[in-house]
This record gives sequence, C-alpha cells and structure tokens, in this order.
Amino acid sequence: MKLTRRDFAAGVVTGIAAPHIISSAKAQGATLKIGMCAPVTGPAAESGGYAIKGAKLALDAVNKAGGILGKQAELVIEDDQTTNPGIVLAFSKLAAQSDIVAFLGSIRSTQVHAMAPDVLKLGKPVMIGGTDPNLTHMGNQWLFRFRPNDSYSGRVIADYGVNTLGKKKWAVLHSTDAFGTAGGKALSAALEKLGSPAVLDQGYANQSQDFTPVVLAIKQSGADILGSYFTFENDLGIFARQLRQLGVNIPWVGSPSIVNITALKLAGPALYNTFGVADYAEDSSDASKAFGKLYRDAVKVAPDNQSSWPYDAVTVLSAAINKAGSTDPTKIREAILAIKKFPGAEGEYNFDQNGDGLHGYNIVKNDKGTITFDKHIEFTD
Amino acid sequence: MDLVLQLLFTGIGIGAVYALVALGFVLIFRATNVVNFAQGEFSMVAAYLMVVFAVDLGWPYWLSFLLALAGMALLGIIFNLGVYYPLRHRTFLPVIIATIGASILMANSVLAIYGPQPQVLQGWFDTPGIQLGPVYLDSQYLLIIAVTVVLVIFNYWFFERTLLGKKLQATSQDKEMASLLGISVSTMIMITFIYSAVLGGLAGILVAPVLFVSIQMGSTIALKAFAATIIGGFGDVAGAIIGGLSLGVIETFGAAYVSVPYKDGFAFLVLVAFLIFRPQGIFGERVAEKA
Repeated sequence: MKLTRRDFAAGVVTGIAAPHIISSAKAQGATLKIGMCAPVTGPAAESGGYAIKGAKLALDAVNKAGGILGKQAELVIEDDQTTNPGIVLAFSKLAAQSDIVAFLGSIRSTQVHAMAPDVLKLGKPVMIGGTDPNLTHMGNQWLFRFRPNDSYSGRVIADYGVNTLGKKKWAVLHSTDAFGTAGGKALSAALEKLGSPAVLDQGYANQSQDFTPVVLAIKQSGADILGSYFTFENDLGIFARQLRQLGVNIPWVGSPSIVNITALKLAGPALYNTFGVADYAEDSSDASKAFGKLYRDAVKVAPDNQSSWPYDAVTVLSAAINKAGSTDPTKIREAILAIKKFPGAEGEYNFDQNGDGLHGYNIVKNDKGTITFDKHIEFTD
Repeated sequence: MDLVLQLLFTGIGIGAVYALVALGFVLIFRATNVVNFAQGEFSMVAAYLMVVFAVDLGWPYWLSFLLALAGMALLGIIFNLGVYYPLRHRTFLPVIIATIGASILMANSVLAIYGPQPQVLQGWFDTPGIQLGPVYLDSQYLLIIAVTVVLVIFNYWFFERTLLGKKLQATSQDKEMASLLGISVSTMIMITFIYSAVLGGLAGILVAPVLFVSIQMGSTIALKAFAATIIGGFGDVAGAIIGGLSLGVIETFGAAYVSVPYKDGFAFLVLVAFLIFRPQGIFGERVAEKA
C-alpha cells in the first residue's frame, strides 16, 4: 500500500485532533462543573479548608441523589490566596472554562466587591457568603447570598436586648473599621426605632492594647446592656477581661465574633453568659443538626459558618438547576430567586429579588464556654 | 479621682512595656549607631517560645521562662552574626534595611508554624489582680512595673559600676578608642545584641498574658517604643524609660478624656511635637550634634 502525501496529512491531523475531540466530548458529557474560589493559601487557609469540605459534602449528597440534570456534579477549585487580586485571578481562570455553569465566591465582602465587576461581565450565577448589605443592592443580578446580611444583625441584637432581655439603656461599642462602623450604625438605628437610643456610642481602633478608658466610659454611662461589633478576636479578648476585672457585669449581646472559637479561647470565663448573633447554630433546626452531624462525622471538627454556607450554596444551587431543567444562567437565576421555605444548615431560605436568601439571625448563649442555641429572630420586611 | 487613679495605673503599666522595648532600641543604637527595627519581633518570638515550652510542652512556667530567655540570647547572637556583623563596615542604611528584613523573616516564620490565630499564655499569678480601694490593680501590670523598676536599677548598676558595663559604654562612645584600649569591640557589640534580645523578649513574655500572643504583638509595641525612644532622647537609657512611661500615660488619658479611636494618634502627636520643638528628646543630645 502506497502512502500518499494526502493520506499522511490526514493522519497527522487526525492524530493531533483526536485526543482533544475525545476529551472535549468527555468533558461536556460526563460531569456538570461548579467553580469555587477558596482561600487555599494565605491567612484564611484554615477556614478555606472548612469551606471546601462543606461544599464537597453537599456535592457528595447531590451526586448520591442522582446528580444535577442527570449528570454527576464536579467542583473545580481555584485558590483565591485570601486576597482581592487573588480572587480576581482565581475567578478569571474559572470563568475561562465555558463548561462551568455557576460559581461559589467568598465569605469576605471585600473579595466579593473585587470580583463583582467580572461576575457582571460574565453573566453567570455566583453564590457568596459576604455580609455587606451593598453586595446584593448594587445592581449585580448574578450574586446570591447564603448568609444573612449585616443589616439584620443590628436589628436582631437590638430586638433581643430590648424585647427579650428587657433592657433599655444601651452602650454600643464598635470597631472604627468598615465592618464595625456599619454594624454600630445598624444597631444604633435599630435601637432608635425601638425607642431605646444608645446612651453611649463608642468606637475604638483595631489592635488596641488597652480598653480601660472604654470600660470606664461604659461604667459612667449607666448603661444596663452592651451591644458590640468587634472585628478581631484579640481586641474582644482584651476588652472582655478588662470589662469583668473593672466590675462591669451587665448583659452583653455581640456580633458573631463573640462566639468565635478563637474569642472563646482567648477570653475564657470573661465571656460566660454573654449572647451573640450567629448565622449558623447547630441546634437551631433539623437541617442544621443534620449538617452538624454529617460534618462532624466527616471532618472530625465542630461545624461553623465557614463550612455551612458553602454546603447550603451547593445544595440550593443544585436544586435550582434541577428545577430550571437547564444550565442557562438566566433560568438558573430565576430558579434560585423562586426558592422559598428551603431548609438549609444556615436557616430557611426565602430568596428576595435582590438575591438575599436569609433574613434573620440566631441568638446563641455562652453557657460556661459552651455555645447553646437560644432563639431565632426572623424579619419579613 | 477614682477614674484618674485607675487610668494612671493602666497608663504606667502599658508605658512600662514600651519602656522595656525602648531600652532595647537604645542599647543597640548606642553600640552600633543603627536602629534595630526587629526589636519588636524579639518580643513576639520570646512570647511564642513561652507558648512552645509552657503550653505545648507543658513544662513548668519558671523553666519555660528561663529557656525562652536563653533562646532569646541565642537569637541575639544569630542576629548579630547574620544581620549586623556582615554589614558592620557599611553605612547605617543597609543595616537598618537588614533589620527590617530580619523582622519580616521572623514574623513570617512564626506565622508559618503557628498560623494567624492568637495564642493564650497564662500569667505568673493565679490571682488576676487585686482591688485596692477604688482602683483595680492587674497583677500582670504590677509585675511589669516591678520588673521595669528593677531593670532601671540594674542598668544603672551594670553600666556605671561594673567593668563590663563600662567597656560597653566605651564601645558605644568611641569604637576606635575602645579598640586601642584593648576592648574587643565585636564582643561588646555581641553582648549588646544578646542583652537587647533578652530585654525585648522579657517585655514580650511579660505582656503576653495581657495582650495575648500574636504575630502583630511585636510590631504594635515596637512602634510605640520607637516613639518613646525619640521622646525620651535617642540613645539615653533614662530617656527610654521616662519616654515609655510618659507615652503610656498620655495615650491612656487622651483616650479617656478626648477620643478613644484616636488613642494611637496622641502618641504620635507628642512625637511630632518633640521632633519640631525638642528633637533631642527629654534627655538626649541634639540630633545634629550626634550626626
């Protein structure tokens, strides 16, 4: 048999193209891909690991139940390095893969802000955990939040202190960074609405070595309850110790950092009998308990919001795609927004038109170092 | 009055920490004519060494304390040989940059081992403090103040009454003359680095039960200590102590009576005022003359 030049050329082309055609067909047909930007390296690498485990646990459950649109789902993870440039790079790498149908973004609002323009440009759904209220109110229809935003935490702290604990004279203490200032404002505004304006509104700079002047100001204000927004656990620990040492024992309801594992370790007994708002509380619902058990069995550590929101995000997203019956971004978006009364680890999801799925917080109590669920406060407006 | 006394005690306590770190700055500056920007990291490393010995390994507190200080002495030797000695004949700028590089290396090495989460270190005493009338005296702050007083006395005795102290002083005043008199300048500088590392470490160990053990603890304290050194008079031991104590009291009262969020601002406001109106500090010689 004589090999012509044409046969040779055809053979070479087929040889080069075949593996690509086969792998492309395999990629398009075998699995349905979900992208995830997570801090694999950097300061939040530890919590990033929890987030990935939460997402994978949800994906395993989805795949066991038949997958998404009849296909097995696959998670494609890119390291966001815990930085804003890192997440922009990670998202651009994922966005370049046209077969990824939706994404998981960050729990950090600042990172979500950084990636938001690219999300808008791409036009595919991105699940987020950042709690800055603006994220879902700035005209980006592709962001869907799986934690309650910060406007709810202030209202929940105020509601619990005034209506449950019956306290009217509030001292509000907050960090002067973006998170603390926004939180302090939300709490003060909520207290005004409830007819109990704060008798002391005190800011502090992060990484303060001493809170004696703050404690003495609280003492002198005559406040009978304290509401706080601390950003860093070491500030919270120093303040808590000095508060108790200087004899201030009024009830204290704080933002989520007050029930953070690190804060509990640093402050110890100084935080006993305090209250905190928490988006994930293991005993708050059957779905939360189920996630807690699943996570403990698989990961061997206590679950927290770092793992619960990605778990919910994958679960809700999968359900939405199945309901939409398509991977068309607009149809997925409509299906997510249509989700009501969906039981998740973080709470019951009722998406509004902005993309916020949760509208309340749990109140938990530090009972001699053990965090116990007290009540859930939900807002419908 | 109760408020004033409480603030005064806290201010002196915080100021004593600044003073201890400032002392390390001054000793190295006197010996080498450069500012060691890794002085704060000495405090941080010593606090983490305490966590290793007393918490992770569960060894007795006093033994852990001695081992941590011994570790700091070793770090002082390594620092001298690795950072200062190779650059000793260069101008002050490369040495200063090398100390900044060393501080970044130390902070990131500890970060790689322990991660970013702060650690807890118990204090010397089981009792957290005592109530003296209207004033609460934190036992750890009482210890810090006591150690500062002892160190002031020790420094005076050591530098003024011992031969080694006088050799160190001679080296800091004129290296060439000291060398001609048979003093081993490199040994004296080595001893200075060891002593400064131990002093910085002592400050870190003492303050760790109050501020917790974190990567940032050294840089936060060092910044204030540096300001205290300038206020007191760069190169003056008594100035470092007075500068540190003054700074602690000023920022505590400033926070209480003017503004809490701008607490750190008061320290640097005082620093700027000194740089404009009295650049030589409270006790120091004029900067122009020194240069």
